Amino acid sequence: MEATEIKQREKRTKMKRSIIDVDIHHKTELEDIKPYLPRAYRDQIDLWGWRLPGSLWLNGGVKVGQMADSTPPDGSFPGSNLEFMRKQLLDPYNIEYGVLTGTEYFCQASPDADYAAALCSAINDFTCDHWLANESRLKGSVFIPKQDPLLSAKEIRRIGSHPDMVQVIVASGAEKPYGNRFYHPIYEACVEQDLPFTIHVLLEGLGINAPNTGAGYVSYYPEYRACRPQVMAAHLASFIYEGVFEKFPTLKVVLQEAGVFWLAPFLWKMDEDWKALRFQTPWVKKKPSEYFFSNVRVSSQPLEPTPNMEIFRQLMNAVNASETVMFCSDYPHWDFDSPLMAFPKLEDDLWERVFYQNAAELYGLPARKAQKEE
Amino acid sequence: MTRFFVGKASEIPEGEKKIIEANGRSIGVYHVGDQFYAIRNTCPHQGAELCRGITTALITSTRPGVFEYEHEGEIVRCPWHQWEFDVKTGCMIVDPKMRTKSYEVTVERYNVSIEDNHLYVHL
Repeated sequence: MEATEIKQREKRTKMKRSIIDVDIHHKTELEDIKPYLPRAYRDQIDLWGWRLPGSLWLNGGVKVGQMADSTPPDGSFPGSNLEFMRKQLLDPYNIEYGVLTGTEYFCQASPDADYAAALCSAINDFTCDHWLANESRLKGSVFIPKQDPLLSAKEIRRIGSHPDMVQVIVASGAEKPYGNRFYHPIYEACVEQDLPFTIHVLLEGLGINAPNTGAGYVSYYPEYRACRPQVMAAHLASFIYEGVFEKFPTLKVVLQEAGVFWLAPFLWKMDEDWKALRFQTPWVKKKPSEYFFSNVRVSSQPLEPTPNMEIFRQLMNAVNASETVMFCSDYPHWDFDSPLMAFPKLEDDLWERVFYQNAAELYGLPARKAQKEE
Repeated sequence: MTRFFVGKASEIPEGEKKIIEANGRSIGVYHVGDQFYAIRNTCPHQGAELCRGITTALITSTRPGVFEYEHEGEIVRCPWHQWEFDVKTGCMIVDPKMRTKSYEVTVERYNVSIEDNHLYVHL
């Protein structure tokens, strides 16, 4: 009886403790960012439209991927109304800080790098003006035209020093795996501005990007989702084998939304192969998993449910979750992970790492303003 | 400790090796520089005959595309999974705890002619 009461009290306390959510999609409507574009692009859009690739697959939820109850009362697109986001997400889930990850990634699949650069700048300025300026809990992600690493670095240097910009973000769909030396000017700028580089699943197989699997294009959306770890795995291996973390030892990379637990056997495999083939890539000086643990973080949603708690604990340990995993909800997307329900019960210390400290350390976010525990 | 006759030093030219039997154990004797080293001919990983693998150098690097060779002749790569071992110590390069046994080798001079020096491993 006594034990049950303690348990319940612990649960209440936990719900009162604030969290950091590292993946919140605020809508940056194309029409809203259009005023931020140079005249030439506004004129082109008026004459010929936005010329951006769209998805080839279905999505979940409503309005292409949104929770059916996330449309604000004013009828605007889910994630576009700050007041409603406060009511539906930030307040009830006691979010101390949230990292905005936007919506308009499609420019990153355009063959026109200058146009993509203009769109990214417009998205970033819109986010600063309409979101970061109005809600101190929210932090921003720098969109970059990853087709052109020099233009990307320029944008990181232009806006990355904004005090509320906390990371650089790209979609997982790419022309080359992200560790490739082609991209290194981006990481030079990230390190200089002290911003993590986040790879968010999206745009695999779209526009100029490579097909969404090594076996070619898949047919259906659930199949597309199932194959996302394949693309993310290629990026992770690329960072390690191209020696990026030797060249940029302080660079942090975040793997977002491709899942978490597939990483465990993937790291084991890389470590085993490194033992055998070390001398082919001698610039990889440490076990691949060591680079992962020191330089890579992974956000939680959509967390793969395990058949039982024993497997859950083992996999959490295998990916060193107390240092590497950061909670995120993916609000307002249809596969939202509830801060209260997505994870099974975690030991207190681990909960604190996953729901606050890992993100606070990565993004340089302060401790909680008020300690709301009893 | 018992000593086992390997052969004449001149039978193992510098940079080469000889696999011998000593007290029922297969042992690889390596001639590196002016020294001889002996390690057990069994890989601690999956039991391959380690000393039948390539004898080579340690390859290091300062950046992608750069390969630097050092410790020439001191590395044996297991024939099966190419794990690298230091013939001087029997230790795996990337994980020294993973090791095969190493043995002391002595050269005993019975004649003034260096070709006639006898090699012994000590088990």
